[in-house]
Amino acid sequence: MYFLEQLINGICQGSIYALMAIGYAVIYGVVGLVTFTYGEIIMMGSFSAFYYFIAFGNNLWMALIAGFITAALVGVVVHKVCYQRFLDAPRYISLICTIGMSMFLKNLATILFGSEMKGMPTFFGGKFISIGTIRVGYLQLIIIAVVIILTVLLTIYLKKTRMGMRLRAVSQDKKAAALVGINVKTTTLIGNCIGCGLGGVAGILLGVYYNSVLPTMGGMAGLKAFSAMVLGGLGSIVGSAISGVIIGVVENLGIALTSSGLRDVFAFVLLVLILFIRPQGLFGKKGN
Amino acid sequence: MIDRIKKLYTDNKTIFLIAGLAAMIALPFLIVKGSVMSIIVKILFYVILASSLNIINGYSGQFNIGHAGFVLIGAYTLAILANFGWPIWVLYIVAGIVTAIIGFLVALPTLRLRGIYLALVTLGFSEIMRLVALNWTALTGGPMGIKGIPSPWFFGLRSTAPHNYYYIVLFFVVICLFTSYRVINSKVGRAWMSIREDDHAAMSLGVDIRKYKSINFMFGAFWAGVGGALMAPFYKFIDSSMFTLDEGFNILSMVIIGGQGTLVGPVVGSVVVNLTTEIFRFADEARLLVYAVLIISMMWLRPQGLAGTSKSVIANRSIRKSKQVLLSKLSGKKEVK
Repeated sequence: MYFLEQLINGICQGSIYALMAIGYAVIYGVVGLVTFTYGEIIMMGSFSAFYYFIAFGNNLWMALIAGFITAALVGVVVHKVCYQRFLDAPRYISLICTIGMSMFLKNLATILFGSEMKGMPTFFGGKFISIGTIRVGYLQLIIIAVVIILTVLLTIYLKKTRMGMRLRAVSQDKKAAALVGINVKTTTLIGNCIGCGLGGVAGILLGVYYNSVLPTMGGMAGLKAFSAMVLGGLGSIVGSAISGVIIGVVENLGIALTSSGLRDVFAFVLLVLILFIRPQGLFGKKGN
Repeated sequence: MIDRIKKLYTDNKTIFLIAGLAAMIALPFLIVKGSVMSIIVKILFYVILASSLNIINGYSGQFNIGHAGFVLIGAYTLAILANFGWPIWVLYIVAGIVTAIIGFLVALPTLRLRGIYLALVTLGFSEIMRLVALNWTALTGGPMGIKGIPSPWFFGLRSTAPHNYYYIVLFFVVICLFTSYRVINSKVGRAWMSIREDDHAAMSLGVDIRKYKSINFMFGAFWAGVGGALMAPFYKFIDSSMFTLDEGFNILSMVIIGGQGTLVGPVVGSVVVNLTTEIFRFADEARLLVYAVLIISMMWLRPQGLAGTSKSVIANRSIRKSKQVLLSKLSGKKEVK
């Protein structure tokens, strides 16, 4: 029974990772560059919710929207500083830029918000549903539901709307997209903002799930998102979502078997092993 | 201006090198303050670390972003074995060799991987090493770290003071730069550079990519291990929080700011970065903001690094210029200056 509970915890946590990874996959797909600022965007989203709760009371849904907007705005800044100039330059230039940006945002947040851990409010009064002896928290169900809804919305947006079609075109081939009359610059910016916004929402869910926010929370979260995205095959949304959940489940089952200090070890060992066996990621196409 | 300095240097190479070395040897006699000296020792540590990363990133074009993992292995190897009573002088080399072996193991999967996947494996490796060091309390002291690492004997003196330890580090820095220089100008170094430029072309010319890539990783890892091993007796205390990913990024930034793929680049980068962060130490937390701004503005203004040539492909400006030249040639106009 203990394992089943851990499995549910894993799925819940994994779904947060999945949302982060989806955001990352959108950014990577559209911009075509690796970013290390993503963790800090997650952190910014989380902090915006923290201050939203203080200013306007505990409304989770509105906070999610506020977090999306804040993270998207930070995304615009990141885009202007780190990507726009370097889209055609060697890739490592923008990568180093994102490392610098991540350092900047992290330390700015430490100075502005203070380095101590801050508590998030509890939602749904810690209620849970009992199925036999297993407990499933309301919050866990809500988190999984939010992630599923956002994923479906994103898929619809990408598949059905004209803007989504443009985003897909740009992520497939920038030059060809420009040839058929798509404004590549604007589209890249919008794609980056959507990805960052999703990251911000995921950051809020993470903060609410653990009841805490920290300026340094972004580092590990960003790495998990990056790992899940690479594991799922670069830029594949479905792949990223599935590998996010896999990472979450493996972590929690690993903790159940050993000690909780080794949580992150499992994620990275899994990552290295899978890349060793399948260099193109779990759902990637060969030859990429 | 930087190009002019470089020309002056290449014209009088031997004089500059001898004068530089003499100045380095005389340095502890000129500086009395121990705190200033320990900053200089720290700069020298980073010269070794950045140079070793430059071997991997700059010369063979592999993208290693988890260099802190190698440094960690070197430092912990020395600290653990020193507590068993091994002589420190031997341990510097042993730590390097152990790290090189680990480097080979990391290089195994990377032979199949490229670009972002390789970056991610090195990143994962670095974090795994840190977390293992944090959790394997029996061997590494876990979150408590390892305390009381002994310093080596040096001409009958225990070299704990920065003024004495400086010479040990300087000795290794000189060897590191010299071996790097020799290797880079040998067949091996040319093979690395051919892999960096175009691995398919290198393969078609008969370069054994797998062999040279693993040699490259082992060489880089060896010096990272020696660098880490040098750090441990100086600080007398190590714990896993000294080797986070941010530390790896820090080393990477030095390489990039100094100039990838040049021998002096990492030296310049290490000096510039460490001096900037030390000068702004009064600004406390904002110090890292300054560093971050330095990194970003460097990428905007001089992406090839301080020591990199402006003719490099990486320099945006020269691309634009060469494109203009090409266009003007094609259209039969005069060359644009």
